[in-house]
Amino acid sequence: MSDTETPKVSFERERGVYALEVLSDVAHALIEFEEDALRTSRIQQVLHLLADAGIPVFLVKLHRNAVTLAFAGSDVQHAEVALDHPGLRTTIRRDLALLNVRAASMRELHGVMIEIVDALFEARAHLYETGDSHNTVQCLIDGSHVPEAVVALRRAFQLDESAVTYARMQTEGAA
Amino acid sequence: MKVLVQKFGGTSVDTAEHRAMAARKVILAREAGFTPVVVVSAIGRAGAPYATDTLVRVLRDIDPQVPPAKRELDMMMACGEIISTVVFAHTLQTLGYKAIALSGGQAGIITDPNFGNARILEIRPHYLRRLLEQDYIPVVCGFQGITVPSDEHEHGAITTLGRGGSDTTASALGAALKAVAVEIYTDVDGVKTADPDLVPHAQTIPVCTYEEVAEIAHQGAKVVHPRAAEIAMDYNIPLWVKSTFSDAPGTRIAGADAPEAVRRRITGITHTGKIVYIRLDFTETEHKALVEREVYRMMAKAGVNIFLNTYSPNAMSFAVPREKFTIARDLLDGMVVPVEHDQPDSEGRYATYYIFKFSDGLDLAYSVQRPLLSAVEKRVRIVDVPGHITENCTTVSVIASDHRRVPGVLLRIYEILTNAGIAIYQTADSEMSVTLLVSESEVERAVRLLHEAFFEQ
Repeated sequence: MSDTETPKVSFERERGVYALEVLSDVAHALIEFEEDALRTSRIQQVLHLLADAGIPVFLVKLHRNAVTLAFAGSDVQHAEVALDHPGLRTTIRRDLALLNVRAASMRELHGVMIEIVDALFEARAHLYETGDSHNTVQCLIDGSHVPEAVVALRRAFQLDESAVTYARMQTEGAA
Repeated sequence: MKVLVQKFGGTSVDTAEHRAMAARKVILAREAGFTPVVVVSAIGRAGAPYATDTLVRVLRDIDPQVPPAKRELDMMMACGEIISTVVFAHTLQTLGYKAIALSGGQAGIITDPNFGNARILEIRPHYLRRLLEQDYIPVVCGFQGITVPSDEHEHGAITTLGRGGSDTTASALGAALKAVAVEIYTDVDGVKTADPDLVPHAQTIPVCTYEEVAEIAHQGAKVVHPRAAEIAMDYNIPLWVKSTFSDAPGTRIAGADAPEAVRRRITGITHTGKIVYIRLDFTETEHKALVEREVYRMMAKAGVNIFLNTYSPNAMSFAVPREKFTIARDLLDGMVVPVEHDQPDSEGRYATYYIFKFSDGLDLAYSVQRPLLSAVEKRVRIVDVPGHITENCTTVSVIASDHRRVPGVLLRIYEILTNAGIAIYQTADSEMSVTLLVSESEVERAVRLLHEAFFEQ
């Protein structure tokens, strides 16, 4: 059988960014506390309050005097009640969207972050928090800026329309 | 024809005894009615006479000041697999089997010309198929391919596939030949719940999904390379991880819709990386977003991959691999980011210059640059951005599918470690895992504690 008669198959995924997922109805909380010395116990307390209220959290980031985290928009009211606690100062931002920029072996690539930041800047979408894993960079932005952000990211990474998917944040949380 | 691809790593083919054990696996497959296609890695690990590192050293030793050209380096590295393939094919021949050694190019593996980290573009399996029809056992070099033979520029040059190359070869051949399964043979009997060097009683996971194994591999477990898992996932080929040296059933890796695949569970504890964590504090946040962009741009230009990115109102933090830390620090130390004001401020200054400063002893460039800026200080506001460095970090990850839908997962992980006095510098999470940045000196304790909590109680 000759080369021309044998079907050729392509195999490995393209390197670099190949998909964009938009998760809407996300909320983000900044929970500040005063005493530096009690940081660990304060963080434990925050996580306890939310777990006890049945609220799954993600994009958890530890800061010197604060912890920030995201959760489903449907859990906002329960979170407000749960975090209304002496010694904690909570600011919740709602109606956010989580953009998941997907790439194979993200951590072996460099320059993806600046491409994303530039695209979001161009779309005038403020970046509230970012997270990353081996195959994603996650960006939390205002839900109202999603259309412009998607256009800018598609242009930056040369993604066609089919590479973008939309979903709503759902959990088995308190709501 | 029930094609079964069997891949043997370096430790499975490094001695005559081990090769005999590997050959036995091939023969058993053949006797069970399968049509085996064998993929082998180079013989042995670093230091062994035909290991890839040893061959590369031959080139580097010619003149340590002159790095070998990537093209020639790939040709040299490919020799390890060629030797191993010929030795293994001959081993099968001495046992009375019709075996034939094939280079990656002879097996039809076509790649792009990205020497050292080539991507498989296509496989032309017609020659392999013909050999299988003639009852041969093909023994194919892992980790290598060739550029398109008709390419005028590279003209069928030998390429290597980079990390996980032999696993990738096996999966890709499995896809091209529509194999019934791909078996990755190694020196452990499957995917473990933790690194057996740290947790000797770590359990073998009987079944896990492609996504789980890709996550486990990315987070540090060296069982099967994520590239191989991705190909198997995309082509829905059952993948197995087995031991060459035992008859244990190993781990079957299947799609998430396979009946045995369990959703919502903790699959394993992994650890990886020598990492330095950098935090930049902004005492002045008006132009923080602009300054952050310039930090990212600078890191990208210098080829420094950053991760564990964290924003906070007054700081930005990120991790860099330890081998890139010096580059990152040297770039940031004394770096000035000028930001022009839309209109002069109350003191008539038309711009703010942000200058990065690390602690004493790590601020050579800052200590030179800062006095130079005094000359413009009447017209420009100068803002120091102090940098803080946490060296000797590593990540420990809990592979937990769907944890974002379940309350209390991070709490439990956080409590297990912090109640034992292990400081967590930062966390990161994806749909499949929760990752914790801890001191390298605590990694063993952290892995053991988490394994004990999630798998031994």
